[in-house]
Amino acid sequence: MTDETQAREELIDLAAQFYDQFSAGQVPELQLPTRTKSNIEYDPESGVWKYGDRTSTRSANSVRGARKLLKAAYTIEFLADQLAEDRSSTLRELYYLSESWDNTEAQFGDQDESNDLVEDLEIVTGVTREDLHMRPEESGATLMGPLLLREQTRRGEREIHCQENVGEGGYQIPNNPDMIEFLDHDIDFALAVETGGMRDRLIENGFDEAYNCLVIHLKGQPARATRRITKRVHDELGVPVVVFADGDPWSYRIYGSVAYGSIKSAHLSEYLATPQAKFIGIQPADIVEYDLPADPLSDSDINALESELEDPRFQTDYWEEQIELQLEIGKKSEQQSLAARGLDFVTDTYLPERLEEMGVL
Amino acid sequence: MTSFQSTIGDEEGIAEELAAGQREISIAEFFEKNKHMLGFDSGARGLVTAVKEAVDNALDATEEAAILPDIYVEIEEVGDYYRLVIEDNGPGITKAQLPKVFGKLLYGSRFHAREQSRGQQGIGISAAVLYSQLTSGQPAKITSRPKGQSRAQYFELIIDTDTNEPEIKDEKETAWDRPHGTRIELEMEANMRARTQLHDYIKHTAVVNPHARIELREPGLSEPLKFERATEELPAETSEIRPHPHGVELGALIKMLEATESYSVSGFLQEEFTRVGKKTAESVIDNFRDVHYGRELSFEPPAAHVDRDVEAAVEAAVANKGAEATAAFASGVAETIAGNARVTRSEVATIVHNAAEAVEADTGRTFGSTVRENAIEAAWAAVTGVDEEDEDDEDIEDGAPLVPQVYALIDEATSTRKDDETVQAMADAVARRLAGLDGDAFRVTHDDLERLVADAAAFVTEQHDVTFGETARGNVVEAFWSRARTVPDDPPKVRTIADDRDAAADLLAAMRVTDILAPPTDCLAPITAELVEAGLRKEYEADFYAAATRDAQVHGGDPFIVEAGIAYGGEIPAEGSVEVLRFANRVPLVYQRGACATTDVLKSIGWRNYGLDQPGGSGLPNGPAVISVHVASTNVPFTSESKDALANVPAIEDEIELAVREAARELKSYLNRRRSMQQRREKQDVLGRILPEMADKVSEVTGRPRPNIDGALARIMNNVSVEREVDGERVTLRVENYSSTTETIEITDIVSAEPVDPSAGSVVEMDGEWFLQWKPEVSAGDEAELTYTVSEDADFDVSVSGVETEKLTVNA
Repeated sequence: MTDETQAREELIDLAAQFYDQFSAGQVPELQLPTRTKSNIEYDPESGVWKYGDRTSTRSANSVRGARKLLKAAYTIEFLADQLAEDRSSTLRELYYLSESWDNTEAQFGDQDESNDLVEDLEIVTGVTREDLHMRPEESGATLMGPLLLREQTRRGEREIHCQENVGEGGYQIPNNPDMIEFLDHDIDFALAVETGGMRDRLIENGFDEAYNCLVIHLKGQPARATRRITKRVHDELGVPVVVFADGDPWSYRIYGSVAYGSIKSAHLSEYLATPQAKFIGIQPADIVEYDLPADPLSDSDINALESELEDPRFQTDYWEEQIELQLEIGKKSEQQSLAARGLDFVTDTYLPERLEEMGVL
Repeated sequence: MTSFQSTIGDEEGIAEELAAGQREISIAEFFEKNKHMLGFDSGARGLVTAVKEAVDNALDATEEAAILPDIYVEIEEVGDYYRLVIEDNGPGITKAQLPKVFGKLLYGSRFHAREQSRGQQGIGISAAVLYSQLTSGQPAKITSRPKGQSRAQYFELIIDTDTNEPEIKDEKETAWDRPHGTRIELEMEANMRARTQLHDYIKHTAVVNPHARIELREPGLSEPLKFERATEELPAETSEIRPHPHGVELGALIKMLEATESYSVSGFLQEEFTRVGKKTAESVIDNFRDVHYGRELSFEPPAAHVDRDVEAAVEAAVANKGAEATAAFASGVAETIAGNARVTRSEVATIVHNAAEAVEADTGRTFGSTVRENAIEAAWAAVTGVDEEDEDDEDIEDGAPLVPQVYALIDEATSTRKDDETVQAMADAVARRLAGLDGDAFRVTHDDLERLVADAAAFVTEQHDVTFGETARGNVVEAFWSRARTVPDDPPKVRTIADDRDAAADLLAAMRVTDILAPPTDCLAPITAELVEAGLRKEYEADFYAAATRDAQVHGGDPFIVEAGIAYGGEIPAEGSVEVLRFANRVPLVYQRGACATTDVLKSIGWRNYGLDQPGGSGLPNGPAVISVHVASTNVPFTSESKDALANVPAIEDEIELAVREAARELKSYLNRRRSMQQRREKQDVLGRILPEMADKVSEVTGRPRPNIDGALARIMNNVSVEREVDGERVTLRVENYSSTTETIEITDIVSAEPVDPSAGSVVEMDGEWFLQWKPEVSAGDEAELTYTVSEDADFDVSVSGVETEKLTVNA
């Protein structure tokens, strides 16, 4: 049985579940894990954060619930047909496509609604979005480093070396990284970088060559594919992963979703999260130690930091110490603020020092 | 130099010249020039006002005679003029009175009466006659047939504006088909531009007088507008009340004093005012004594260590009464005085008289008035320390003997922050001024005492460069005043007070400060909540009606009652702001809505709380509603003579607000109920559409035949709802069973304060929370109400079991 067939079966089973509920004279409903901060739990076995036991019920008992389930039924039909025809579409296409459905009640109000519904279906069927042939928009995240891989494209197989066969922009991570096979590598460690500016600085300074480093560009909050390939690099190539981001609460969340999994996709944490990933900087301690140019924390920054102190994912000694320090000094710094000490400071001094401290080098 | 004065004096005398042009103005002339004051400012408005005055009179007359009013109003175009005819079935007017009622301004029976009535001044209808003769030159044509007479009387008359007397143009006996009643026919320059206001006036009159039958014909109507009677019940008969002591003014009081047959003040008060009995009259007189005579300051009797001895002083003052009697008398006086904490001169006098009488009885010796006077003076001097002879002694400062007692009072009355030197200086200054009071009894009114203390304080402030502020002065005044005693003097006779403006003013002040029961309310005839609602029901096709009547309150001596009604929905237009009906003594107020206290109050209420749309959260609400407010009083405060708008009297505004809110609360719970029913219907509509569609889609995807969804639908549609309604402290949980079977529902309400008087159920207290439990059995289509009372700030937490969750809608 192919993956497509199995995914299709799962969808039809879900529809059958509604059917059976109707037949039994019951009001159709769907049980889902509650997708909030308070319902994620650490799974010691896999080392990632997953949904806890609390569930929410989508029931056709209310007008809202009934509309949601009607939309689910229409989406199930669409996805099942798509799998049968071995085609794929983007999340945005699904949103627009709903406009063509004969029933206006089933149409989506905005794209967040359709995205959420696809995630719901992922959770109840246990089939990932990728296997349902739903793609996000290209996130544009890239790799650069001594890695040789083979990508299964729609136009045949391609072998690509992520330094030699790519331009300055690097190798663009495809939507379904499971179509990639790693062939060979010379990587000592992987460095996931938040901003494009810093990624370009590292490449220009030849950091990837000098340190046998795979530079992963996260492009802000990383897409699923980026997180998935990070995990595969770590698990399959056995190299340490460090995350290099700005020194502010929003960037800590970027690290959190790489290392621990995000709240919205906690059902896929095992598949996406790299719990061994370490945070290299910018740490609040660095702002003090290197006397970096800094901005004062805004009210929303402070709120975000305080909410992180309550986030189960950040309840470690390391993060509590860093966040409390940051609240105390009341400052935040960007990655680029290192340029205040010279353009080479980051590659010659900061990163080597930090990597050594962390025992990566 | 020639002065201007002398110039005037030299010439003919300008005052004389002016005097030649000065003459009395008749009231009729005055209103001829000031028509607007009576509501006759334009032809359009004049017509409405004339109708209003005539109809108000007709209603008053019929009501007074306990006749169910039947009123006919006709407006007709006659060439360039309009002819106005108003007929009623009232008791009619006698031949002698009729010309004055219609042909003399300020002639009426109600102006002097404290009783709720529509007309008050006796201006209205004669003003209409005046307006008609001024604009058309035609006399008013009046027919009246008094009850029980076989023929009617017909008059044509005008008002002589120079004399304000009726001038009869024609007079004859005539036949009239009505058994009794009055008909007035006026011709005037007018137009029908105020047709809306006219219709409003008639319609609103019908709303507020559900016992009246009114018919209107006018050129713009193809068929007459008829307003039928909604009740056969006449408004409660009102009785006239005497004025309330809190509501009279000085001029009126003096007139009453002059006119009364009472001899004593007490008799006058009880005879002429409402709510004044013997006791109340006594309190008024006591307050009058304080205001008029002042109180007497009291002093402590000399203590043992002071070298003044009452007994010795009295003994020395008595001569030729024999040693034994003198000693008995002196010791009797001294002992009684010493037994009082403080005494006044009048009290000392009483003590002396009592002692003298006792000794006279024991010894047979007579203590004449001279002896007694001497003894009183001597005893009083011993108490105060002020000796007549000392006053001429230049070495002893005036009031010096009073200083220790005055010092003690001031020291007690002022805060500890005042240093001793200031207190001492103040005591000296006050004592000096007290010594300067007329007589030796230290009589002073509160006002004078205040002035005296303020004067002393100013002196001290200046001389000693210290401050003696308002609070400290006030405390000192109170210290003296509270220890002073009302004097025993008899109040002057009524005749004396009537001749003495100041004494009358004192009496008025005393009446105002005395607590007196609110006036009785049988002088008022509220419509009653029931009939307010009936009136609205009669003229407005609405879905919902509510009404409220407040208890009577008083403002300025006049009792008043406020009533409010609300009609909502139905055929009331939903666009724009709500319709406001304003009434005063059952008369609709048509003009000057913006200037009326009623409108101000309605605008200040937050209508969103009551479920009405209110743009911006203030101002008149929008929506399909009619709000009516009726103020009934023996003296409705209007902003002007044309009686269009209520004045902003806080006491009345407060009552209007409470009445409207009371009715609005009912509206709110109606709207809430309606909203939840509507939501239920909408939900049924939407689910009834969506679920079949979902079933179709699911059967398509699974490739199975369409499932039967009736069971699921029934579960959702036929549900049980639990809703909470809170009205003040009363909490109601309403359980409605829409299902087709009987349901037994377990309801637990956890309340943060102790619930009282729960309907059945059980109450258990646990850790400061009260668990109320009910287990009602509600049959299909039925409902149950669970109620209790709890303080308004309590929190609730309800849980419901015994019903499947999908069948349950909890909104509590």
